[in-house]
Amino acid sequence: MSKTEARKLRPELYPKLRDLTFGFVRDLEKCMQCGKCVGACPAAALTTYNPRRMIHNIKAGNLEEVIESEELWSCFFCSTCYASCPRDINFPFTVAMLRYASIYAGYGVEYVKKIIPYAQDYYRRGLTVLQPEKNPLVIGRRRANSGTSGQMADIREQMGMPRERKISAEALAEVQFISDVSGMTKLMKDMLKRRDAGPKSRDRIEKVETVKSREGKFAGFPKEQENA
Amino acid sequence: MPRPEVMERIPVDDEYFLFRSCVASSKYPGMESATKEVFERIGVGLTESDDQTCCAGFITFTSVAEVTATMPAVARNLSIPDAAGLNTITMCNGCYTFLTEFGHFLQQNPPILGKVNEMLGMVGREYTGESQVLHMIDVLPKLKDRIAEQVVKPLKGLRLATHYGCHYLYGFKKDAIDDPFMPTVVEELIEVAGATPVDYPEARTCCGSGLTQVVIHKEELALPHMKKKFDSLKEAEVDGIIVVCPYCLTILDRGQAKMVDRGITDYDVPVLYVTQLLGLAMGIDPVRLGFGANVTSAKRLLEKVEKLGGANA
Ligand code: SF4
Ligand code: SF4
Repeated sequence: MSKTEARKLRPELYPKLRDLTFGFVRDLEKCMQCGKCVGACPAAALTTYNPRRMIHNIKAGNLEEVIESEELWSCFFCSTCYASCPRDINFPFTVAMLRYASIYAGYGVEYVKKIIPYAQDYYRRGLTVLQPEKNPLVIGRRRANSGTSGQMADIREQMGMPRERKISAEALAEVQFISDVSGMTKLMKDMLKRRDAGPKSRDRIEKVETVKSREGKFAGFPKEQENA
Repeated sequence: MPRPEVMERIPVDDEYFLFRSCVASSKYPGMESATKEVFERIGVGLTESDDQTCCAGFITFTSVAEVTATMPAVARNLSIPDAAGLNTITMCNGCYTFLTEFGHFLQQNPPILGKVNEMLGMVGREYTGESQVLHMIDVLPKLKDRIAEQVVKPLKGLRLATHYGCHYLYGFKKDAIDDPFMPTVVEELIEVAGATPVDYPEARTCCGSGLTQVVIHKEELALPHMKKKFDSLKEAEVDGIIVVCPYCLTILDRGQAKMVDRGITDYDVPVLYVTQLLGLAMGIDPVRLGFGANVTSAKRLLEKVEKLGGANA
């Protein structure tokens, strides 16, 4: 039996999702399936990704297909769909919420695992995107363009700025305390567990990939994952 | 054309809270130094705080921790300008989106706001929402005359394109300073700097990052997308692109190097943050403006500026 035949539509899920996401998933019922978003969407221009179809699937109760799909991870979060939508549906927020759902269901972690350490800097240092530059291409060009070693600390010093931006010790203590209380710390730890439990969800994703590549148009996986 | 009704709502203060960006601090610090130099020259104070952290947007939109967990981080950061009685200027489309959307959300959901403030109360803070969150390009147009007075080195003959990015104009299609599809605020600032704004067909196309796109899909999606944009830019024969977001800056600046490395094309178009441009027109030392951090060299553009003569501050 094919996957689609086995799938039961559950339209009651959309209102549930709407409530669960504090209103970040909203207004999909207003969609008139006009496709203006698809015409404007940069991801749709390059892949089989299709926000109009996703909205249809979500409302029709075919949530599983959306959550399992590779396409869910194609959105650029650019909001061009929202800017074009005659019904003012702010779709990227729906995508963001569905990505959590996907991760909880054991699918998406493969896509974000490389970003986890960047986000974890928040807990350790209060700032993100702090991972030291490793790309020799970037360092080499910065070295040539600045006349320094090409390392950020040296460039900052050359500009008359402190070698690195730091947040105060009090602020860091507050951030860690609030993260613990609000559940962020636990969410981050869970993310790591999911990442380390990788293979299971990877299998699932691979299946989706095979289906999609048979359809002929699939953007492909990052190189390391192909070799993994 | 800037929208008069939005322009009216933007406060012109003697002092603002400068919300610093993680990406700018760790990749393009010139955004920060240029902003401070420019504001100092036009006589507008900027307060910053080492208590301000990442806006937490990165954590949310990379799906690492969900909104309920990042909401208190937003409120905590905004409690700083709230307490100082200052309005907030963000330098980044992402910080703007996150602080604004989540700020509105908290304001509209009193029970959640209550819980968040309970948490903040434990560390002696409170989020009131009194500090208005502004984007750099909300404020600069209001200060245009003061900026013009400080231009000592009009950038005559420089052809500059714009890239507004997505999260400010598209994401706030009704509340942003300009029309999302045909904005001109930055073009007007380019004119104030004495340079020539240049239009190109793919001007309103996203940089190709979408926060995670480059990491998630790497080049399969990001590079073909970026190529489209740069092909269109190349035809327009520009000396540089002016951006209003550090993430766009990162992607457009580094993307070009990647395209050279992958043997696609060397477009060689330097990418500048809007205050870096204004800083050049004010005669500020390019080293201080941080062009050494650019991966795609700004050398040719800077040489052109050098030849223009005019006073160096
Ligand atoms: S543009 Fe809006 S109404 Fe039209 S299909 Fe897309 S989401 Fe639906
Ligand atoms: S936000 Fe996502 S769905 Fe909307 S236009 Fe951009 S890529 Fe497409």
